[in-house]
Amino acid sequence: MRNHKLADRSIKTKYYRILLILFIAIMAGGISLFYYINAQQEQLEQDREVLQHKTGTINELADTLKEVFFRARGYVATQSGSELALLNTAVKELDGILEQYSSLKLSAEEARYRDDLKLFYEQYKSETLPEAIRLVDNNDYEGIRNLSQNGSTRTVNEYLGYTKQFQARSDALLNDMASRSIKQADLFTFIAFGLSALLLLFLTLLIWRMLRIIIDPIVKLEEATNSLAAGEAVLLGKLHKKDEIGRLYDAFLNMARSIQDKEEELMMQNEELHAQQDELQDQQFRLERSLSEIESMMKALNQTSAVGILSNKGVFTYVNDNLSYYTGYKSSEIIGYTYRLFELRNLSDSQMEQMLRKLSTGGVWSSELEMEAKNGSALWLQLTIMPYLNDEGQIYQYILIANNITSMKNVQQELAETLKSTEQTTIMLELNNQLNHEITYTLDKQEFAEKFNTFMNRLYSFDSSLFLLVKDKIAVVKGIPPENVERYVDENSQEMLYRLSQEKSYIVKRAGLPREQGISAREVYCYDFYTTVVNAEDEILAIFCGTRIGHSFTGEETSEIQGMMNRVALAIERLFMYEEMENGRELNRDIVNNVNEGIQFVNTEGVIQHINKALSQLFSYDAWAEGMLIPEELWMEHFTRRVNESEELRQFYLKAMSEHSVDSSAMKYSIGKEDMKHVDAYAIPVFRREVRVGTLFVHRDITREYELDLMKSELVSTVSHELRTPLSSVLGFTELLLSKTMKPEKQLKYLETIHKEAKRLTELINDFLDLQRMESGTQLYNVEQINLSETVLSVIDQYKLSGTHHILLEDEALNAEVEVDKDKIIQVLTNLLSNAIKFSPGCNEIKVMLHNEPGSVMVRIQDHGLGIPKNQIGQLFQKFRRVDNSASKRIGGTGLGLAICKEIIEKQQGTIGIESVEGEGSTVWFSLPVFQAKTSHQEEESSHKWTAGKEHKPNVMIVEDDYSLSLLLSEELKGKGFRVTHHYHPQKAFDQAVKTPFVAIVVDLMLGDELDGWDLIRMLKNDPRTENVPIVISSALDKGDKSMMDNVRKYLTKPYPPGELSGTLQEIVDIQLKTGEVLFPDNGEAGH
Amino acid sequence: MQKVLIVDDEEVLRMLIEDTLEDLENVEIHTAENGGEALLRLAADPYDLVILDYMMPVMTGIEVLSELDGELKSRTPIMMLTAKAQEMDRNRAREAGARYFMPKPFSPMELLQLVEVILSEKP
Repeated sequence: MRNHKLADRSIKTKYYRILLILFIAIMAGGISLFYYINAQQEQLEQDREVLQHKTGTINELADTLKEVFFRARGYVATQSGSELALLNTAVKELDGILEQYSSLKLSAEEARYRDDLKLFYEQYKSETLPEAIRLVDNNDYEGIRNLSQNGSTRTVNEYLGYTKQFQARSDALLNDMASRSIKQADLFTFIAFGLSALLLLFLTLLIWRMLRIIIDPIVKLEEATNSLAAGEAVLLGKLHKKDEIGRLYDAFLNMARSIQDKEEELMMQNEELHAQQDELQDQQFRLERSLSEIESMMKALNQTSAVGILSNKGVFTYVNDNLSYYTGYKSSEIIGYTYRLFELRNLSDSQMEQMLRKLSTGGVWSSELEMEAKNGSALWLQLTIMPYLNDEGQIYQYILIANNITSMKNVQQELAETLKSTEQTTIMLELNNQLNHEITYTLDKQEFAEKFNTFMNRLYSFDSSLFLLVKDKIAVVKGIPPENVERYVDENSQEMLYRLSQEKSYIVKRAGLPREQGISAREVYCYDFYTTVVNAEDEILAIFCGTRIGHSFTGEETSEIQGMMNRVALAIERLFMYEEMENGRELNRDIVNNVNEGIQFVNTEGVIQHINKALSQLFSYDAWAEGMLIPEELWMEHFTRRVNESEELRQFYLKAMSEHSVDSSAMKYSIGKEDMKHVDAYAIPVFRREVRVGTLFVHRDITREYELDLMKSELVSTVSHELRTPLSSVLGFTELLLSKTMKPEKQLKYLETIHKEAKRLTELINDFLDLQRMESGTQLYNVEQINLSETVLSVIDQYKLSGTHHILLEDEALNAEVEVDKDKIIQVLTNLLSNAIKFSPGCNEIKVMLHNEPGSVMVRIQDHGLGIPKNQIGQLFQKFRRVDNSASKRIGGTGLGLAICKEIIEKQQGTIGIESVEGEGSTVWFSLPVFQAKTSHQEEESSHKWTAGKEHKPNVMIVEDDYSLSLLLSEELKGKGFRVTHHYHPQKAFDQAVKTPFVAIVVDLMLGDELDGWDLIRMLKNDPRTENVPIVISSALDKGDKSMMDNVRKYLTKPYPPGELSGTLQEIVDIQLKTGEVLFPDNGEAGH
Repeated sequence: MQKVLIVDDEEVLRMLIEDTLEDLENVEIHTAENGGEALLRLAADPYDLVILDYMMPVMTGIEVLSELDGELKSRTPIMMLTAKAQEMDRNRAREAGARYFMPKPFSPMELLQLVEVILSEKP
């Protein structure tokens, strides 16, 4: 296949193919041309023949026709029968020719002419000729003449003419044909020439192309071959052809390459050879140089070292001058002797063996050796021995090189000694250094003392020691019991300290104690060294005592220790100073941490150096701890994010921290949403020695002030509203009155309204001013001791007169003495009662209750009115707060009453409150502290047996439902020195009577409740605790139930003068004093 | 017959305004004593004028206005009666939809004149 393909592509094949195609083309063209020419000529020939035949026929026709005419005429002329026979023969001949003529291919004109001829001839043959014959037969020459004149002759002549014409034309046609065939022959010649030229051109092209394809590459190849031969590089590109030339190229290239490769290889080998040669030369040179070097080295060696050569048996064979010089032996004394000639001092047998072993294996041995010179002096040599090996690897001689190092050895020894002493000094120095370090960096006194003591012990080898910081009584001991320290710590230490302060240091020599004796057989003496540390003012800061057993102190040590003490003095003073500073710092920190303001110190780089507790709480920031540094990028975001005015705060921080701000600045911001905090922050740049060190930020929580401010403005707006409303009414109705005419009733109504509203306005202004005065603290209170029960009663009494409501008093308070401003308390009571009345329309009972509580008296005012919604109770004591509903709105009021009450009660150290259920009523209560001076006394009294006749007031109870009467009676009795308790309810009266001792009980019989006075008397008499209490009846009724009279001491019929009651009661008290009767119900033991 | 609604928590003031306007012919006067009642009335009937107190408990005049829909507010003239005469409060009321103001204490005759003008503008 491949060959086939190659064959396809080969030039040979290509050219064969082209030639074959060419040959076929030429053959085909020639043959076709030949046939074409042939055909053309044949055609021409044929045409000519036809024409000739036609011409012949026509000529024959014309001849025959002439014959016919001729014979006819002859017959006519001769009238011979032969002539007729000849005529007939001619006619027959003419028929045949005519027939032949008709069968020829004729042109249209010829055909027409033939038809004319035929027609004429038919006519001639069938009419003219027979006529003529007949005429001739008849001899009618006349007729024949006519006939010939008739024109038949003319036609014949005409036709003959035509024939002649036709003949001429045929000749012309023939001539034409001949010239055409000549022309055709010319054309063929031309075509043949053209074809030949084309063929020539094609061949030229073929040859040219062949030259290009074959010759060019060959020329190139030739050039390449030349350059190859010249040894130049073959610059021949690859010819991308698959034909013979291409293959030749490839083959040539391969050949060129392999030739080049070979050449290069050869070159390389050549170079290598050169290099080897160079190297050899070099080696030789070096060898020579080494030799000379070795020679000079040997020379040098001979100059500086001793050199000897020994045989393999150890016998010296060569000795240089140095060796003889060092050893003192002449060379002649050495050569021929073994090495044992020299006495080696410091070479042991084992070392000797080692040396021999090393040398025997071909190794070099080297060592420092001490040997004896000839004169017996020590000689130190640095000795090196090298074995020399022969080709079999056996030693045949040794070379010995020795250097004299005797003097060096001596110096070395001296150095070692110096080094030892230096090391000792270094240790001392290090210890000193350590001490310096310790005393510089230790800040704790105890630690310092311990370190110092340890150090002293290490440095001076004390067996026992004591170091005491006098002021702080910090002591460190070594080797002595702690009790010993106490000698210096207690008061008696003064004497010892005195000696120390005088002498600075002293040494005591004493006999050793048993424990100090140890295992020593002899008596041991101990040396105690005492010294002090004093400050610049000669105060003793510390004491150091150290004991050495059997080992005294040198003067040097003493002064050294003394110096040490001076150094320590400074350190101790520094310690004190540090402690003081530390205390100061802690104090500062405590102050900073405990102030309410948040404090933050930021240095000039924006790094937080300190934050106090208040600030970390304010920003919930606990990332900072004492001593920490927090860079700006860590805290700024946290701080500003928390605040509602983030960006403003950031700007404030940045501005305050910038170098340019030298003045303090401030801003306000808030934190949180619901529980909003308002903060006032200010920044102060801090300078130290006129250099800016940072900025101090102080954040003050002003939430309270802020809220107060808010409240104040709210109050102003409320007050303005509250004032404008009644003012509107007053002005409005006045204007209506002035501008309109109206009925008198209406006028009256308007005037009433105006009056009411004006009053409300006044009230409002008064209340408001009161409150303002109270709140601002300018209100003065005239404090006096009053009886609260009486005051309550008097206020209730006022309302009784106007009375739409029934006001009941339940007074269970024993001791209602309080120290208050009476007018103000009346104001409170009036206010609360009027409120109770106002807010309980339609329910006419109001109850006022008094009772004791530990240390105070409680007043409760209860109504069954509208009540207060639970959620509004808390706000009622605020200003302008009223219950917001239509009912309360109708009732009106200033909205300040309860606020005023609260203010007054609280200023009297009392408390006030409201309990209420909406729709069921409210109870307002307040409690006031009981007057102390008396209270304690009275409580004592009430807890002990009451004894009549003492300076104490006798207790009396009045049970009466008429308040004005009871008030009247109370006043009277109080004037006579009684203490009065009032009740209107029999049950309550009884309950108190069993608890409290009364000298008498005054009972009204008509109490209007389910229980009346009699019931009470019965209850009292039936109870052993109260059966002996005298009873006085005060009644409008006459004496009725006699059965009970036994129990009644006196019956007073209303109306009676108050003095009668007091007189009666006084009598009773007097009797009791006389009889010594003790009227006290003592846990069921009453009556004794 | 035109209708006017008076909204005020103070009975005395309601009476004063009512009496001031009683001589107007063809005017019917209704009252409401709080915001809730006013809203109920406004939802039930169209009014030609609402006189509204600014400061009322539970629901202020502004709150009443904010409860009303815009269409009703644009159709009904609203006069705010207020002791709060500061500019800020006025603006707040205006934004809420009040078109007229009458500061407390007011002159009944001035109020009457203003009401007459407002009602005459409304057919």
